[in-house]
Amino acid sequence: MAVDLRLDEPPVRETRTRSIVTYNGSLKDLTKQGCDGCLKNKNRCFTTGTYCSHLTAITSVLGLPDTLVVDHAPIGCCGVEMIFSGGYSLNQPGPGGEYRDNVRMFTTKFTESDTVFGAAEKLKSTVRGAFERHHPKEIYIATSCTSAIIGEDVGAVAAEMTEELGIPVTMLGAAGMRSKLWSTGFDAFFHSTGKARFKAPEKKEDTIIYAGFASIAQETVAPIFKKLGLDMLFLTAGSTIEDYERASQARVSFGQCDVDDSYILSYLEQNYGVKYFHIHQPNGGIGFERFMRDLGAYLKKEETVEEIIAEEREKYAAKIDALRPLLAGKTALVALGSGYVFEMVRMLKELGMEAVHAVSYHYDPLTDASPDRNARTPVADVRELDMDVSVSVSNAQQMEVYLAVKKYKPDIVITRAHGAGCWAAKVGVPCLDPGLGINIVGYRGLYLFADALAASFRNTAVFDAMKARYQSPFTEAFEALPPTRFYDKS
Amino acid sequence: MEEKKEYACPEQQRVGCALAGIYTALSIEGVLPIMHSGPGCIHAISSVLSVANGGQNPVPYMESVVPSSNLSEAEVVFGASDKLKSVLEHSLQYYKAEIFMLVTGCSAEIIGEDVGEIAEQYTTPEKTVLHVALPGFKGNNIWGHHQVLSALIDGYVTEYGETEVVPKRVNVWGVVPHYDPMWVGTLEKLETLLRRIGLEPNIIYGPGRGIAALKKIPTAEYNLVLAPWTDLDIAKKLERTFGTPYIHFPYMPIGPTAEAELIRTLAETFDLDPVLTESVIKERADRYFYYFNRNLVWIFDMHNQRSLPREFFANASASAALSVTKYFVSDLGLSPRRIFIPEDVPKKHRKNVRKLFLETAGKYLTEEDIIFTDDGGLFEQYLKDVDQMVRKSAVIGSIWDDITAKKANMPFVSVCAPYGDVLVCDKQYFGTDGALTLMADLYNDAEKKGLVSAVV
Repeated sequence: MAVDLRLDEPPVRETRTRSIVTYNGSLKDLTKQGCDGCLKNKNRCFTTGTYCSHLTAITSVLGLPDTLVVDHAPIGCCGVEMIFSGGYSLNQPGPGGEYRDNVRMFTTKFTESDTVFGAAEKLKSTVRGAFERHHPKEIYIATSCTSAIIGEDVGAVAAEMTEELGIPVTMLGAAGMRSKLWSTGFDAFFHSTGKARFKAPEKKEDTIIYAGFASIAQETVAPIFKKLGLDMLFLTAGSTIEDYERASQARVSFGQCDVDDSYILSYLEQNYGVKYFHIHQPNGGIGFERFMRDLGAYLKKEETVEEIIAEEREKYAAKIDALRPLLAGKTALVALGSGYVFEMVRMLKELGMEAVHAVSYHYDPLTDASPDRNARTPVADVRELDMDVSVSVSNAQQMEVYLAVKKYKPDIVITRAHGAGCWAAKVGVPCLDPGLGINIVGYRGLYLFADALAASFRNTAVFDAMKARYQSPFTEAFEALPPTRFYDKS
Repeated sequence: MEEKKEYACPEQQRVGCALAGIYTALSIEGVLPIMHSGPGCIHAISSVLSVANGGQNPVPYMESVVPSSNLSEAEVVFGASDKLKSVLEHSLQYYKAEIFMLVTGCSAEIIGEDVGEIAEQYTTPEKTVLHVALPGFKGNNIWGHHQVLSALIDGYVTEYGETEVVPKRVNVWGVVPHYDPMWVGTLEKLETLLRRIGLEPNIIYGPGRGIAALKKIPTAEYNLVLAPWTDLDIAKKLERTFGTPYIHFPYMPIGPTAEAELIRTLAETFDLDPVLTESVIKERADRYFYYFNRNLVWIFDMHNQRSLPREFFANASASAALSVTKYFVSDLGLSPRRIFIPEDVPKKHRKNVRKLFLETAGKYLTEEDIIFTDDGGLFEQYLKDVDQMVRKSAVIGSIWDDITAKKANMPFVSVCAPYGDVLVCDKQYFGTDGALTLMADLYNDAEKKGLVSAVV
């Protein structure tokens, strides 16, 4: 399915990439069923709160300078964004060393009367007021469950305000209830910003696009691409309008993970010939070598690539080898997003550890890339490395992950963002946020990961204390359950 | 030409939506909220009151395990009662709680789910199931907090509460858990002080209290509201329901002046031993001034240049703004320039809140200086035209104002939600002891910003 930015918002992942949130089996079976089109979503009879596309879409937009979001929603829907936007924390300097300003996020603050009579005029007024106050270069109007239920035509208001204010005012499709997968919000973000900012190319530039949450650690990979004659161009937090305008002129692209980036990078490939490298993600050593060889073959710079690979391997080999004894034979349970979890499984194997179970926070059998929409790194890992691991899929259902940790008894839980680490810590299992983006790329990424793992095992006092004190707030009936118990029988 | 109707355009949110009232439920041990709302609501509310608010998640039920029906489009169209019943049935089996609150958000309320009926159906003598409607389009988290308390009073305390009044027992109100980021530390210190002067405080929030404390609510001799307006309506409701009178003391005390006033008010109301209460007042004030006297060289000799903050702005909750104003004015010798209260104080309370500020700092503030708004960004705009050539004023507020103050190089102290992406732990600014911490935080931030040079 070609990516079409003329739509108001992208089709949800359930239809577009046939994404699922329920599965229990193995990676080999999951990828095979995915390729054969056999994966079906089941319902759950018991769920706990998760994330929604509203949060991911708005957070991503607020990472861009000179933008402003008007949330067409009741108060509170735009609550999450204040401490981070697109990957940078508040006290973390941006790419130019600058400190973050307050994010510019307004709400139309739906009242009960608005839900009955509509709030289009109020929306226009809020957009005007926000523009008067901050004079941004762009405004994005986020939809919400409430605005969608009552049928507000946000696209029409956006078009009208674009004309009135003379800046792009674009709808950001962010009604959380539309999709069980919060990653639909990443698609919505790229859809709207691409729509507002992309320009047809005037020439080709020797650039490689990196898309993802942030360009943190870019200085560690930019020299590598420079050796191939490519400068880096970012579609991340901090990207300017000019960065986006230049995107169509790039030669090649890759992303943080295909879940976050395949939508927009596929668009650039389909429309402007920016070759998108996604079949082999460049994380860890094996990932890096495969990715670089794909890139080298395309650019006809195979020799240079082999030199780069040898140099990177050499740079970190001794450091990684020194850590191997500390990790040998240790097991991990990994609970991460679908574009990322199996990267970690592979990197753990590279370090001599074993993933005993992988919880994939949803799974996309397809990407938006063409011609082969099945071409995802986990599929390649099964085929090329005979990789396999026990897998369950959920939209961050932590009551299930809790039971999985109990069942699989890992030495460490590798996870981020959705609460699994807290419960691991409570029952005495060390947990680790493995980092993201450029920080897990290449042999450098492998080394950083190995070092973080070793540090987690070095002194487990805090986890031992938590274990000794743990009194479950759940009943014995729950504690006795097997994981993935909560799929509806129907 | 069509007239463009003007609406306020709020930014820099300092409140959560009504659903965030579940933090009040989560702060009472034995109570579990179950959300009947969209999939992301739990995280939308978690920033202002939890993660970006002193790094404090609820204990023991963190956000990641709060049951939720995660309403999708299909359920919005075809109905979601079956889904909710299933989530509820499993929750009743899996969680060690005694009160389960079915909480309906925007989507559930718009589609008109009859959740009250489900609550009645599933209530047993061992496990009470209540329904509270908390749609964001009806109000913010403070409104939600009041709804949760009302539901607990009507649906549980009236049925299971103890009845015999215990002399000197006092229920403590006014604090909104999480929304007052230092709620745990503050309530701990308050409880200790009240016990010392001969009272038996009954607090429902925090560790080791919970259901047992809920049941004691009707047995208090008085309800004590320690805030300008929050929980006043709850106190009135308790008076109607159980006949308990209430005392309204305008703020949680910070500093020796406010603390002495509170102790004396309670001494009079409860007829406490004056020898005891006056000795406690003196002992604690003496301690405060001992510590203050230890800082004279630093404050007045080395750093009392023109630029030590002597004026301040507030862009904060009414409770925090008033407590801090009282301490700054009565004890530290600062004067307020303007007070912004961006928490959408209900219109019926504004006159009285304004009066309380004027009583506390009327020498320095006029009515126009006290601004009620829902727009957290109003203060940042106002600051652009403020002359600070002579010296920088201090700012008290939340994480938003931390950034605003950083840009303008003004001394800043965080006092309200969202407190910041930092750990609050058991930090508090309560009474005489807490005031010392507040003073240190204020002056240390001025020092860190290079405003109080030791030489020139």
